[in-house]
Parts: sequence; C-alpha cells; structure tokens
Amino acid sequence: MLNKIWAGLIIFGILFALGQDIHDEISNTYNNGITQNATYSFVKKSPTHIILTLNDQLLNADIRNNQYLHIHLNKQSPAYLLDIATANGKDNLLIAHIVSKNNTQLNLLLPELHWKKLHAVTQAAFDMAKFAVKLAMGLIGIMALWLGLMQIAEKSGLIKHMVKIVQPLLHWLFPNIPEGHPALGSISMNMAANILGLGNAATPLGIKAMQQLQTLNSDKDKASDEMCMFLALNTSSVQLLPPVTLIALMGTQVSELIIPIILATSCSTITAVIVAKFYAKKNHKREKAGG
Amino acid sequence: MQQLTILIIPLLILLIISYGLIKRIAVYEVFVDGAKEGFTIAVNIIPYLVAMLFAIAIFRASGALDVILTILTPLASLLGFPAEVIPMGLMRPLTGSGSVGVLAELINVHGEDSIIVKTAAVIFGSTETTLYVLAVYFGAIQIKNTAYAIQAGLIADFAGFVAAISITWWYFS
Repeated sequence: MLNKIWAGLIIFGILFALGQDIHDEISNTYNNGITQNATYSFVKKSPTHIILTLNDQLLNADIRNNQYLHIHLNKQSPAYLLDIATANGKDNLLIAHIVSKNNTQLNLLLPELHWKKLHAVTQAAFDMAKFAVKLAMGLIGIMALWLGLMQIAEKSGLIKHMVKIVQPLLHWLFPNIPEGHPALGSISMNMAANILGLGNAATPLGIKAMQQLQTLNSDKDKASDEMCMFLALNTSSVQLLPPVTLIALMGTQVSELIIPIILATSCSTITAVIVAKFYAKKNHKREKAGG
Repeated sequence: MQQLTILIIPLLILLIISYGLIKRIAVYEVFVDGAKEGFTIAVNIIPYLVAMLFAIAIFRASGALDVILTILTPLASLLGFPAEVIPMGLMRPLTGSGSVGVLAELINVHGEDSIIVKTAAVIFGSTETTLYVLAVYFGAIQIKNTAYAIQAGLIADFAGFVAAISITWWYFS
C-alpha cells in the first residue's frame, strides 16, 4: 500500500506537470518569441521612468539604455509575468528587450519561459531532499535530551510506577507485549506527551517505544501488529491540549476549539484502534489458515 | 491551559532527576548513556525522510492538488460539505508546513471567527502529519515494510476529518 501511495505521488505529480507544460507550449501561454506591442507614457519629470500598458495592464517600468525595460512587479501583477520573473531568478523585476519604440508605443520581447512546472517539480524535489537532512539533524539534540532523561527514569524505576496505572488499557491495545517490558513504559510516556500537546517530546519518546517494540519483533524488516497499532495511535494524535502551532496561528480563539478538537480526535483515535485491531485479526487468521 | 503546557516539562525533568538521585542512580552517566543514541537515530531516519518528503514535494509542486480540488468541490457541496476545508483535509496527512499554510490562508480570507476557519483549525488540531510520522518512526528502526500502518493511519485521518467537520458545525450552531 505505501509503495503504491509513494509511487502514485511521484508519477502523478510528474505526469501532471508534464501535461500542463505541454499545454502551455502548445497554446504558447508565455508568448515565447512573440514581440508584443505596448503603449507608454513618462512619469512626470523622469526621463526613464514610465507607465506601461501591456495587454490592458498598467505596469511601472524603467527604460535602460533605450534597449532594456525593467518592469517592476508586485503581488497584484498578472500571474504570467510573475512566473517569467521568478523563472529568471527575480520575484519582482522582469527585464524585457525593447525591439523598437516611438514616442507613445514600444515593441518588447519578454524572456522565454519553457517547461515551467517540470522545472518547479525538479527544484522542489532537490530542495526537499536537502530539507529532510536538515529536519533529521534538528532532531538530534531534542532526541538526545529525551532519550537521556528516559534512561534515568527507566533505571530509577519511575516509569514502572507510571505503567502500573495504565497497564489494563495498554494490555488490551498491545496484547503481545509481556508484562513489565520496557516498551510499555515508553508507550505510556509517548501517549502522555501526545495528550498534553508536547509534540517535540512525543517524537523521541515514540521512537524509543518503536526501538523497544523492535526487540520483540520476529521479522526485523516488517512492522509488527504492535508497531502498526502504536503508529495509528500517534498519527490520529490523541490529545487534550491543542498543538503549539495552532495556538500560534489562532491566538486566544483556540480555547473555544478545545472541546471540538477533543471530540474529533477521539473519533479518529477510536477509528485508528478499530482499524488496527481489524487488520491484526485478519492477518492472524490468514497466518493460521496458511499453517 | 497554556500555563499548564509551560509547567509540565520543567516539573517532569525535576521529577525524573530527583527521583533518580533518591534511587542512587549515577544520573549524569546514565543520561549520557541514553543520549548517545540520539545521533544514530537521526542519521537512520534520513533516507526514509528523503524518500517521503521528496515524493510529497513533487506532488505539491505539480499543482495536481488543485485539479483534485476542482473535482472534489462540486462533489462536496452536493453532500453538504463545506468545500473550503477540503484542502486542509488533503494537505494535513502529507505536510505539516503545507497545512499551516492552508490554515493561514483561510484565516486571511475568512477571518478567525468564521465557521470555516474554526472547522479547518479543528481538523488541524485533531489529526497528524501521517506520512511524516510514519517515515520518522519506522525510519528510526529501519523498518521498510510498513504492513498495514498506512491504511490504519489514513482511515483514521479520514474519520477525524469527517468528525471534525460534523462536530464543529454541530458545536457552533
């Protein structure tokens, strides 16, 4: 399933970009190689600064050496001009060639733009590959901190005390983890962090739990039932306090959203448990039938 | 509520360290021992994270999402779903930063008080970046075959999405 989703994202993305670019090439969306006519008038007292009317759009521009036109763009400028500018490395400056001009009109040639979407797709792929490393490196410190604290809590027996409280629930969710196994401790710590909205503590604790689940796993390359259940619980994000990002975006508004969030997240968590249990049972039956 | 979040971590650290001391644990040495693993885990995650993020990046940059939206929007309004929140539902399992962007955009257009922004915020708050969590958690222990974890995660996300919409509309009307 993951293989198909993963391949689907890539293949569909590239094919879609290709389709759009072919469409742009055929209809020549960016007027590649076509000289365009525009009227202009000088802004008061300035010998170079002009107001340009291109395709019914008013634009600010400067004439340089009677050869080049520096068109200044902003967020409201037409999208195709912004695209061409971005492709040439500047977000708000477009340099056009002046083919000919008289006192009120000029003919200009914009830089050509081909295969815009495919270019964007390639760029995004490379940027993200770099970003992934940055993201992983950013995890080192916070991971080391929590793994260190967890080691103390484990050795001192603090986690054992915690686990005793939630043992019945954990036993139902993860029937194959033997009682007293350290994985139960990490799982309950991770869930506590999730519930309290402590995102950056939840990840290291969850990874620790995964490592300990791996020691119980018979096939080290394949996720066990416990791992799938644990992941489903994490992606459905059991939580009582809203995540920090949401507080940052919504401000005090967040407080009236707490109850709907708790209700909705309970629905997704219950679904996650049911689905994970269902698949585990199905796999179990198949294994039995296969001998 | 927010004060609670600020208090928990320092108090937890205090509890762990002092309980360790009481139990006569060599706290510094044990801490360093545990922390050692941080680097290896982060490095282990890299290939999984690159694989996942680059696929998502290609999909996002291609603009294919917009097409899916134009297909889904009439379908949604037919079912009485608020079409404005669909981008959030599609984006949330894929990327954290992307869904923050969607929410910020909705706040810009509709304002924080609108039911649409509230719905999108509840979707945001009640689900997770499933594909990222999967890559990180399984990457850390070098699991390549994720069995049915992705199905369970995505089905739960969808349930959360539907629940968030219905609950928010029921709660604020």
